[in-house]
Amino acid sequence: MFLNSNLFEPGKSKLERNFVQVLTKQNNRLDGRSADDFRDVELTFGAEWGIVALTVGQTRVLAEVTCEIDAPTSARPNEGALFLNVDIDGVSFLDEVQTTHDQRVLALNSLLERTFRSSRCLDLESLCIASEQHVWYVRVNVKVLNHDGNLYDACTTAALAALMHFRRPDVTYNDKQIRTYSEKERELVPMLFLHYPVSVTYCVYKSSSKPVVDPTLLEENAADSVIVLSFNSYQELCTLNAGGSAPTTAHIIMQCARNASRRCKSMVQFIRKALALDTERRQAKQPVGLLELMRSTMPKITYNRLMNEESDVPVTNNEPVSNMATVATPQHQEPQNMIKEQRKQNKQEPVTPMDDSTWLPSTDEVKDKDNPKLKIKETLPQVKETRPKGSNNNRGKGKGGKNQKPKRTESDSEEETKPVI
Amino acid sequence: MTSSNFVMPGDRVSSIEDLAKTKRVILGPGLRRLDDKVVASKAGPLRHKEPNTFWVDNYQRRYVPARGDLVLGIVRAKAGDVYRVDIGSADVATISYLAFEAATKKNRPDLNPGDMIYARVLNANADIEPELVCVNSNGKRGKLGVLQDGFFFKCSLNLGRMLLRENCPALGALNEELPYEIAVGVNGRIWVKAHTPRDTLGLVNAILSLENAGYAEIEKVCGNLTEVMQT
Repeated sequence: MFLNSNLFEPGKSKLERNFVQVLTKQNNRLDGRSADDFRDVELTFGAEWGIVALTVGQTRVLAEVTCEIDAPTSARPNEGALFLNVDIDGVSFLDEVQTTHDQRVLALNSLLERTFRSSRCLDLESLCIASEQHVWYVRVNVKVLNHDGNLYDACTTAALAALMHFRRPDVTYNDKQIRTYSEKERELVPMLFLHYPVSVTYCVYKSSSKPVVDPTLLEENAADSVIVLSFNSYQELCTLNAGGSAPTTAHIIMQCARNASRRCKSMVQFIRKALALDTERRQAKQPVGLLELMRSTMPKITYNRLMNEESDVPVTNNEPVSNMATVATPQHQEPQNMIKEQRKQNKQEPVTPMDDSTWLPSTDEVKDKDNPKLKIKETLPQVKETRPKGSNNNRGKGKGGKNQKPKRTESDSEEETKPVI
Repeated sequence: MTSSNFVMPGDRVSSIEDLAKTKRVILGPGLRRLDDKVVASKAGPLRHKEPNTFWVDNYQRRYVPARGDLVLGIVRAKAGDVYRVDIGSADVATISYLAFEAATKKNRPDLNPGDMIYARVLNANADIEPELVCVNSNGKRGKLGVLQDGFFFKCSLNLGRMLLRENCPALGALNEELPYEIAVGVNGRIWVKAHTPRDTLGLVNAILSLENAGYAEIEKVCGNLTEVMQT
């Protein structure tokens, strides 16, 4: 893992590692954030449906969704399929071998796989046109354009936003004939979601017991272990990926989970708002598309801007399942941006202090119920936990199967969800 | 420097040609002689050092090794009787076990992958790997050798060169704020160390804030360094 690259990468020298360790110990970060501060997230929607560019600090990814009609597999004749792929060719400091065989590509791909596919976030049966004959295959291609840490969150968020933005053409099936309608003939159809998962990444250092959220590349490379948690907007755990050599206790993971679930929820809200804003701009014939990345004629769709406007107006918290959110769309031409910015300082999201452990079950209880499971989390390099919504579990995932914890009972998942809601 | 001194690749620099008629002229990086013409091959401000040296100070982040350069390198691997050191150039540089002070065949320096060294480029040739040394010709280490603790960061080659310039006001201005150690490599890497990590971080930010300051504005920017370090 160490120095496997031919070219130099930040965070790979001892100097940097030690320095980051000492800094975290003193609760400082290189870019002046606190341990539970996120970088601002910016979304730019393409002119076409299903194209999203996402920027987190200097990290930039582009997600693109396409679809095609094909024959279903014989095992699941009435379901479409979702394919996800991440490629990091765009990262200039990686050579050819690294972009294809590096562990981080595998990690990213498997994270997306588990977050979206194994958790069955899309309603695949809605992608069926004619059972055993024709189904939709949806592909999500995530391209990493620049890597400054936390590709995990960037990729999952971009993929989710792209899927939510995507619309497929309407089709009818009559007399064994498929008819595809163009956009002019019939309205395009958005994807049907069962739930909306996004991930949050934490870095854990040996020197400090406080995990650091949304790491930069330097912090990520210097970290002793990286924890990636995916939650959906119902605050249910979809993926947990904890690896590395730092002693990660059940406590730390639960604390991360608690904060992450809240962040994921507001992230999904942000994506909804961004989509609503995008629709509004399209209807008003205002400029949309990736050109905005350079032109910036319209105000940027950023997390801080949208979510802080929201906190001024209390929004009814009614978990909208439909794609088009019912949330009030914020006015994008806000002249008092400055005021909002200032207000933001006061209106921080409620973040549970890391040392606050009152919500944890009493230690005895932890021993009784959680320990066998959490032990695995501590020891295994990669632990997978999927809690699919709906009836199905992860099938055909031989790769992940061996890492999966041996038994998954309902009470387990209750344990997972209870403390975080 | 006025804007007329800004050259683009392919520009003919007639001022040098005129001077060359009367005396010898030395053309530095970014300038080329084509017969009796002087043509710029890089974009940037044209610099002049009395009496007769000219070069183009172009913005660049990729380091091309040159003999005598002081560079910061990261040890990548041990290989036979040399270490492989990454200095940010196209090729990995090498440094011999014996190129350290008081090193003998039996008494080898203890370097491990990930260590950072401050070294001088001994050999730079297009066809072979660059070679580094950590001693001067008398076998003394001087300021070269392994760097402990502190923090290092990457910057443009220009920033490194600017800090190394004679009477650069920046390092003095920083010194008024706090005591620190610095090692500037012309390969676009700078190592700094102050008493506390927080101070080091402030230094890093202060130095990086000079990145976009030209030679002309540097005095002004140095006045603001205190503010930068507070943040």
